[in-house]
Amino acid sequence: MSRDGVAGLACLAGSLLLLWVSRALPQPALVPIGPGFYPRILLGVTAALSAALLVSDLWRRGRHPERPPVNYRLVLLAFGIFTVYVFLLPLVGYRVATVLFVGVLQATLDPPRTARAWALVAASAVGCMLVTYYLFEAYLNVLLPRGRLTGF
Amino acid sequence: MFGPLFTSFGEVLQLQYFVPLVIGTAVGLVGGVLPGVTITMTIIIVLPFTFGLDPLAGLAAMIGVYVGGESGGLVTSSLLGIPGKPSAVATTFDGFPMARRGEPGRAIWLGTWASFIGGLLGAFFLVGATGPLAAFALQFGPWEYFSLFVFALSMVAGLTEASLLKGLLSGAIGLVITVIGTDPIMAVPRFTFGSDFLQSGFQFLPVLIGIFAFAQIMTDLERIAAGTRPDSVDAPDLKVSHLAVIWEILSRPVLLLWSTIIGLLIGVLPAIGGSAANVMAYDQAKKFSKHPEKFGTGIPEGIIASEASNNSNVAGSLVTIMAFGIPGDAVTAVMLGAMTIHGIQPGPLFMSQQPHVAYGIFAAYILAHPVMIVLQWLLAGVYLRIVRVPKAILIPQILVLCVIGAYALNNVMANVYALLLFGVVGYLLVKFGLPLAPLILGVILGDQIEVNLVRALMTDGDPLLFLTRPISGGMLVLSVVSVVLALWQHRRQHRAAPAEPDTDF
Repeated sequence: MSRDGVAGLACLAGSLLLLWVSRALPQPALVPIGPGFYPRILLGVTAALSAALLVSDLWRRGRHPERPPVNYRLVLLAFGIFTVYVFLLPLVGYRVATVLFVGVLQATLDPPRTARAWALVAASAVGCMLVTYYLFEAYLNVLLPRGRLTGF
Repeated sequence: MFGPLFTSFGEVLQLQYFVPLVIGTAVGLVGGVLPGVTITMTIIIVLPFTFGLDPLAGLAAMIGVYVGGESGGLVTSSLLGIPGKPSAVATTFDGFPMARRGEPGRAIWLGTWASFIGGLLGAFFLVGATGPLAAFALQFGPWEYFSLFVFALSMVAGLTEASLLKGLLSGAIGLVITVIGTDPIMAVPRFTFGSDFLQSGFQFLPVLIGIFAFAQIMTDLERIAAGTRPDSVDAPDLKVSHLAVIWEILSRPVLLLWSTIIGLLIGVLPAIGGSAANVMAYDQAKKFSKHPEKFGTGIPEGIIASEASNNSNVAGSLVTIMAFGIPGDAVTAVMLGAMTIHGIQPGPLFMSQQPHVAYGIFAAYILAHPVMIVLQWLLAGVYLRIVRVPKAILIPQILVLCVIGAYALNNVMANVYALLLFGVVGYLLVKFGLPLAPLILGVILGDQIEVNLVRALMTDGDPLLFLTRPISGGMLVLSVVSVVLALWQHRRQHRAAPAEPDTDF
């Protein structure tokens, strides 16, 4: 099964699950159309399209184009670092979390090997935090997240 | 019509509006120059800065980004042979050979002036057509709106580069995202699984930012991992006789007008965008040319067609969003979100209820063009240094701005969690080859489709009214026609060439 088949199968499973969950939605007594009316039509259409994608993939079996190999290591690392950043924001606040995030991600994407490169990473991390913090908080009146642990 | 427009010119020229317009245009030019940074990404970066501004100032900045971005892409297309963005792909075909032949200034300025003239010709359509189209849309009831939205979705699904089936499925997934949360009729929670996070559903902007930003950034990271980095060049001599270049463009009036019209028409169609417009205009220019064999060797016609069409495309997209409330492409989708944050609802009543903002948008669009020319003149040589900024420095900063954009919507972390969630979803969609444009349109139109469907059926339970009311029926027929045409087109393309891996943002 190619990526189309996997996508079709995943979407089919998801839409059937939600269709099953939609049975619990209440049907109002006074009006003919309840909260489940539109989602059921929609999920029915989604399930049909997903099934069609799955079937068409199985039909075309063995005729899929070759795809170049992809290195997912950096992608996974970047997602991981970003996830940690998102969950750190409410704990340590925007300023600390952003310096850590920018520094760690930049060092991961292009590992510094000299003292000058490390200084560039630090400057980029601190500079990004300072510019965005003062621009948004002081000039644009946008409040950025405060940390529960740090208090700022 | 012209009285309010001239008043708005005076208003937008005030520093409070003009400075955001200039900064937006400069940022758009830079975003356009950077290969791999699309205008959508640039406007997402600018979005949080507009929250603290007056609505018109924020929109002026975004229009500047849009116009600047469409023009900026031609710099890298012509000098490096790498399209700065998808809507400059066709510029590469003749811009790069012309620059390599020793005429980089001519290539850049032919494109810049063609963008300028095409964009201003598009302004006539924008100013002249928005009001009448909005008046036409005032005749719409819930049946017509429902059918219009279905038509928009079917068009987008059919015109994506992936298969029609994947386009339709992607649109359906977008619609499913909008049914999560409280239902709009009876306020009953749907598919929330008892979670507070899902209770109020997903706001459109974090979904859009997550999907587009991560789909692009993570795909870029795959390339970094593969060791692919952009070439860098020394700043070339871009001196040229501007009068000669302008004459080169104006001496081809049919080409210029036809490319502008193609850009406008593609822009009016929902969510297709400049990437289709420039290739289509280039193709038309080649077909109607007396010497088609010279296309691709560095002739001015190729550059003029591509650049005039992608800038007039902006005007077409703005017409659609202002008259119907439907985004013409991903960039106007972000603008739609920004308007909603400021309490502005684009659509048929927009021109009559918010004339100040509507005419301000016209004025900002027109003024962005001379601003773009001046900035291009001042900065064209500098841009190439920006291309050398490593992605390792840019990517973390872009992600920080994405977080601010999502958080600042209403100062809640839930939007940042949604950003992360849809970042993963967006990347997975790209990896599974599902196009993103139909999904985004589904997310934007989902609530409206449901509300209008239910409203129509509650007004009159006869579902045949969707077919028997002339405008509604006409649009449903057009939806079927667009799907059939797409099927035919895909089948023809499939026969001509086997499928290729795609990353259609």
